[in-house]
Amino acid sequence: MEQNLKKIPLHNIHEKLGAKFIEFAGFFMPIYYTSIKDEHLSVRERVGIFDVSHMGEIRISGKDAKNFADYILTNNIEKTEYGDVKYTVMLNESGGIVDDLFSYTISDEEILLVVNASNIEKDFNHIKKYLWKNLTLKNESDDIVEFAVQGPKAQELLQNFTKFDLNKIKYFKFDFIEIFNNKFLISRTGYTGEDGFEIYMNKKFGEKIFNEIIEKGKDFDIRICGLGARDTLRFEVCYWLYGNDIDETINPIESGQKFLVDMNKQNFLGKDALLKIINEGVKRKFVGIEIEGGIARHGYKILNKNKNEIGFVSSGNFSFVLNKSLALGYVNIPHGELGEEIIVSDGKKELSGKIIKKPFIKPRVKKEE
Amino acid sequence: MYKVIEGLFYEKSDEWLKVDGEIGTVGITDYAQDKLGDIVYLEEAKVGKVVNKGDVVISIESVKAAADIHSPVSGEIVEVNLDAVKNTVIINEDPYGKGWLFKIKIKDKNELKDLMDAKAYSEYRQ
Repeated sequence: MEQNLKKIPLHNIHEKLGAKFIEFAGFFMPIYYTSIKDEHLSVRERVGIFDVSHMGEIRISGKDAKNFADYILTNNIEKTEYGDVKYTVMLNESGGIVDDLFSYTISDEEILLVVNASNIEKDFNHIKKYLWKNLTLKNESDDIVEFAVQGPKAQELLQNFTKFDLNKIKYFKFDFIEIFNNKFLISRTGYTGEDGFEIYMNKKFGEKIFNEIIEKGKDFDIRICGLGARDTLRFEVCYWLYGNDIDETINPIESGQKFLVDMNKQNFLGKDALLKIINEGVKRKFVGIEIEGGIARHGYKILNKNKNEIGFVSSGNFSFVLNKSLALGYVNIPHGELGEEIIVSDGKKELSGKIIKKPFIKPRVKKEE
Repeated sequence: MYKVIEGLFYEKSDEWLKVDGEIGTVGITDYAQDKLGDIVYLEEAKVGKVVNKGDVVISIESVKAAADIHSPVSGEIVEVNLDAVKNTVIINEDPYGKGWLFKIKIKDKNELKDLMDAKAYSEYRQ
């Protein structure tokens, strides 16, 4: 098994930095360096850097690339222009979520999709299946290094490396700018609920630039963060994790991602199925839960007070900011009203819980007024 | 490397036992706290509960995983470290000191010979 695991380009650097590794989506990935909590709090309070080079990059190019992206993705890509990033899902014909991803509109003829590491091959094949003639599809994942610099000090830190005023890049916008004495794609996006940037480059630049950010980052008491903190951070703001909170058996209406679907579009892949789902009404809903006395892990059953199964936990973790054990999960409607008392169980132990509001903490991203 | 303290007894499942007369203090080793990572929950053991050697007394949870804490010896739970229950950080910070978990009245000291000493445990968790 082990020899089949891929290493990200900077693997050896992370090893030297003391990273502990786990297997994730076919990669050896750093899970933490100092501690998950320490890294988590650095992003909430100051700044942290994540090497997220395991993420996939798939480029669609050719005439009508943008129109095609508008067809395979649920969000409205048609109306986007250079500099727009859209968070979206991609559906199968039954309305199940193939992946959740970012779509970067470079031009009408060029769209860059940033997809989950676990889905790179699946997404590529899915898109290829529907690809219009005259379009080319390229999986560039192995050549691209991606760093996420996140936290209230992220902009101040990165501003040291460019003359370009980073204020000009608004939330969910990107640009190719002169930075690190080169030209790279940078977007004001992330997966932490804090302000921050994601920067993409050819892997040959990775080591040098990673080291530069860390070195300058010392002025800000930066932490190098692993997947552990990435998970606990996204969890607090209730961002979905593919494979845990969403998958092909779940549609975006029940997952609470209807805001990613433009039903007014004339056509998109999965629209017919989704229309039917909306007309019939969804059977379950995605809820937040506060747990007492332990952590509810992915896959725990959710029971009502009479111990009847009413759903399942999709993500569970400890919130370092709220100092509470919390969970996300699906419950069958009409269950899931705020304040409803429930039980979670792994079949052996039972923990009591209560349905609470999502997100657990509000994202502090810089949305445009 | 991982800290191991001379004079303590060690269990294969990474608990340590300090013997003071007929009272044993139990905690987890430095190796265990490191493997678990940030500990966020410690179940409160029941004072007065009688356990056999190897029984699961309580569970401990970190962000990454949950683990069972076994009793290294048979006996009766006589005290619980409520500081550690309330503030689990001290288990990571000081697993052999402030982060102890519970005290047990040892029933049979012959059971101690089944446990490892510091040298054997160091080699075991090399």
